[in-house]
Amino acid sequence: MMIPVRCFTCGNVVAEHWEEFKARARDGDEDPEAVLDDLGVNRYCCRRMMVSHKDLVDVVSPYQ
Amino acid sequence: MAEEFDVEFIERGDRSARFLVRGLTPAFANGIRRAMIADVPTLSIDTVRFIENTSVMFDEMIALRLGLIPLTTPLDDFEVGETVTLALDVEGPATAYSGDIQSSVPEVQPADENVPIIELKQGQRLEFEADAVLDSGKTHAKHQGGVAVGYRHLQRVEVVGDAGEFEEQEPNILRGVIETEDGELVNADEFGNDLTQRYPGKEVEVHDVPGAFVFHVETDGSFSVDELVLRAIESLDLRAAELEEKVRV
Repeated sequence: MMIPVRCFTCGNVVAEHWEEFKARARDGDEDPEAVLDDLGVNRYCCRRMMVSHKDLVDVVSPYQ
Repeated sequence: MAEEFDVEFIERGDRSARFLVRGLTPAFANGIRRAMIADVPTLSIDTVRFIENTSVMFDEMIALRLGLIPLTTPLDDFEVGETVTLALDVEGPATAYSGDIQSSVPEVQPADENVPIIELKQGQRLEFEADAVLDSGKTHAKHQGGVAVGYRHLQRVEVVGDAGEFEEQEPNILRGVIETEDGELVNADEFGNDLTQRYPGKEVEVHDVPGAFVFHVETDGSFSVDELVLRAIESLDLRAAELEEKVRV
């Protein structure tokens, strides 16, 4: 629903970088690989957290 | 174990560092690693009293997210088990961030300010009071101060001859930190983790240096790397002293 606060595998705080990643790589047209390198999300366990995430708050909010 | 340890930094930052320690036994190196993960306590939200939660997430889900947010921990001021009260009040449309959390103790603040807790729509509101407790990583992983703490042997690279003139050289992949013949410490990242990039046309041999360990330590922001390592060693020291005390005849 919301981005997990930490990486499942290593425990690094990934949510800190989510909004910038979303703005630059999802909504913007930058290369996700370059954005993650720039944000300092280096390990592939943390990178998959960002790459594979989908925000679902907008999807579930009408059914409250 | 009266000999001195020799510590040398390869990279040193506030939240991430890489350093070489000589004169360790493998058991002692692992002891330090384990102490960094499980024995150094950090503050983390443990109990949440919801006053209003009309967001799309259940109370429990929000409480779990809150627990994972790292809080800056002045270890000198707190004992294990002591609590700090925190509060948050955000009304939609807005996103509640970790930076919106108000703390009753100025030294205890969220270490990262941009962690989204929950996105609130029009008319939704999140208000709670929470208690952060100081505890160690043994109790719950959210209290771990160290993230991805590990070590490798230091590797010594020696040039033993030239590669065959007409042979196609294959990549010689290596990770960690190497020590060259001049005693220089080089992180393998610097030459693309490939020894043939650093020693083109040479035949090299790689050996682990006994008793030399390269630690890579990251923290979640609760405190600096220096603090984490020193506290871990202090906890080992205290336990060794306790053992000595208990088994004395």
